[in-house]
Amino acid sequence: MRGSWRDWLGYGFVAPYLLLFSTFLLLPLGYGLWLSFTNYELVSPEAVAHKPPEFAGLANYREAMRDPYFWQGLGATAKFVVMASPLTVLIALVLALGISTVDDRRQHAYRLAFFVPTMITISVAGLVWRWLYSTEFGLFNSILANWSIKVPWLTDADWAMRSIVLMTLWWTIGGPVVILLAGIRQIPDVYYEAAAIDGATGWRSLISITLPMLKPVLLFVIVINIIGAFQVFGQTYIITSGGPARATHVLVQYIYTTAFQNYRLGYGAAMSWLLFVVIATFSIIQFRLMREK
Amino acid sequence: MIAAVHAHTTTRQTAVRCVIFILLLIAGMLCSCDSRDKGQVITLRFWNPFSGPDGRTMLRIVKQFQAENPDIRVTVQRMHFGTYYNKLFVAGIGGRAPDVFISHRWALPRFVSAGFARPADDLLGKSADQLDPNDFDANILGAGKLGEHQWGIPLDVHPQGMLYNRTMFREIGFVDAKGEARPPTTREEFLDVLRRVKKHYAGAKPERFGFVFTWLRTNSWSFIRQFDGQLIDGAQATLDDPRNVAAMEFCTEMIRQGLAPSPEDFDAWIGFRQGRVAIAFEGIYMLGDLQRQKDLDWGAAPLPMIGDKPGAWADSHNLVMRKDLDGPQLAAAKRFIRFLSDHSLDWAEGGQVPVRKSLRETERFAGMYAQSEFAKQIPYVAYLPPTPFALEYLTEFDLAVERSLRLMMPPKDALSTADKNVQAVMDRYRERGWWKPDPTPSPRTREEGLVERERESALPRGHAHFAPLPNPLPAYGERERDGGAR
Repeated sequence: MRGSWRDWLGYGFVAPYLLLFSTFLLLPLGYGLWLSFTNYELVSPEAVAHKPPEFAGLANYREAMRDPYFWQGLGATAKFVVMASPLTVLIALVLALGISTVDDRRQHAYRLAFFVPTMITISVAGLVWRWLYSTEFGLFNSILANWSIKVPWLTDADWAMRSIVLMTLWWTIGGPVVILLAGIRQIPDVYYEAAAIDGATGWRSLISITLPMLKPVLLFVIVINIIGAFQVFGQTYIITSGGPARATHVLVQYIYTTAFQNYRLGYGAAMSWLLFVVIATFSIIQFRLMREK
Repeated sequence: MIAAVHAHTTTRQTAVRCVIFILLLIAGMLCSCDSRDKGQVITLRFWNPFSGPDGRTMLRIVKQFQAENPDIRVTVQRMHFGTYYNKLFVAGIGGRAPDVFISHRWALPRFVSAGFARPADDLLGKSADQLDPNDFDANILGAGKLGEHQWGIPLDVHPQGMLYNRTMFREIGFVDAKGEARPPTTREEFLDVLRRVKKHYAGAKPERFGFVFTWLRTNSWSFIRQFDGQLIDGAQATLDDPRNVAAMEFCTEMIRQGLAPSPEDFDAWIGFRQGRVAIAFEGIYMLGDLQRQKDLDWGAAPLPMIGDKPGAWADSHNLVMRKDLDGPQLAAAKRFIRFLSDHSLDWAEGGQVPVRKSLRETERFAGMYAQSEFAKQIPYVAYLPPTPFALEYLTEFDLAVERSLRLMMPPKDALSTADKNVQAVMDRYRERGWWKPDPTPSPRTREEGLVERERESALPRGHAHFAPLPNPLPAYGERERDGGAR
């Protein structure tokens, strides 16, 4: 009887979340999928008159396949993922390993130091970095001018994406560092002690104990990071507005522009689902790799 | 045992209290959502995108209105510009449009064509409760007219003008007889300033510039209008019109010759505020920045005439009424709009130009230095073409401008690409019956423009229709042959 009461209480506590999850995630997902098969445009007289949108079959998906901006957006996104994700994971791992070697009090201080930027909202962080990056009037180039160096941080198509990646590293590295550090701390000391008795060097311990034991955490960080990278938007929207000349106009920004500036909700939804397929494919591959020993 | 039972009871009590607290919280939130004044006072909902200091100015005016009109309560929603029009449009679709709202002129056609706006013709007239149309500048008031109706009452006009650094002008010796900085008014003088800056500050650290492009869209549009260009003509996209190409070639040449740096969009404005830029073309709304800055000796003037006619980008905040307003609510909305228009000098303080001639003739306005200077451009201010798909064509225009100014593509190619894409958007709107183009295209059609362009391309120089200048910039092709780079 008591168990049953506790079960129901449990459901009670979960219910608000389930309600929000269904209302703001599941329902919009389903609605978005349906929209992607319609020609729903908010500016159309039908939409204004609250008439249901016309079914358009796969027309939106076909349009995306022919749309150069879709491919350009996907390309810019892929470029960001390829540049940002490995760097984030690698640097976070190195930092976590480094921090794990110091005493607890200093670990707290380092964790805080690396995590603070993550707590800053992207609008603030983006605006600050945009000013820092300004080619002619920014702080970075003012300092570099002492050595007669002028970096076109945001004004050159190649440099712009690098600059976005650099800012992203600063902004997001704290999360992976904290997670990896927690993973490292969970590895029992007995393994290292046994290795030390057997005469293993620090490098050997890293290769043979830390990394294998850290694998599940590491793969979790990689998957989450890649999913997040595919959804990049805030940084490019605020720092470069997708420029110069669309070099950093990532797919989520194109979806946003299409759906919420040009009000082509059907087409925007179709592109969102295409992006979902890309992310899901990558995630499934990674989960498969995760399950393999 | 007793302790276990007691612990269980405490847990249960805590859980029940938590649930009751959450329920009370939700109930409180729901109750607070419906706290409308149900008395005799008429409530007007007023939405605007004034989220900066201009929002505080507007609030002051609204408070004054309420003090003088106790029978009306105005609830003001200030929203960030980036999301304002989305929220407004969605509110319109949901039948919850505000009673009075602000719409830029470029955004107005979208709300009108969606049927969210109410014609404001009856607000204009000679009677005491109307606004005298003759007190408005015809071109500014006319910009709020689409088809046969006046849809918005312009609260202001915010043109682009020239802001210049007086200190730098004195240092380069571009001064009048009294040794004071004098603003350039012609293409020759403008280029003279730029070349003097380049020469005078050669090797200076940090670098100085004669001119910077700030908002690429509006800067380019001002140049294009001065070159008599246009983006849309009737049902035709005319982005690749030879006059547009000539204007953009002039702009790219400034960058190629190192008279202006590669564009950095709004960030270049920081350079002006740092005192490292002699001239920037910016909107009057930047005045707030400059007024707060005491260490910059700046001046304001109309844009110099760089093309063969004057022109300056501008837009207006229009006061628009919801479509289905009627009865006392409509009367209240009209009274509110008249009040805002009558008090547009207060509004102008923050960096706007009033559009009521009677207000501009006051001593108070004469004391507003930058506003008065920028107001001189009213006869020839240039609004962007009004269409329901403004953002779509502007996206393409922006890209073409950026590709040109970053020297990634010749302006002709960049504008041609944009032209095709804009034409596709226009055709889509037309085919679906969402847009009827202006049946009276400007005297020169696209076909005539293209013929002229063909004729020009056969000539050795790009801008044949401009009178030769004593100190002209070489044409795009010539620079390329010389190596092109700065």
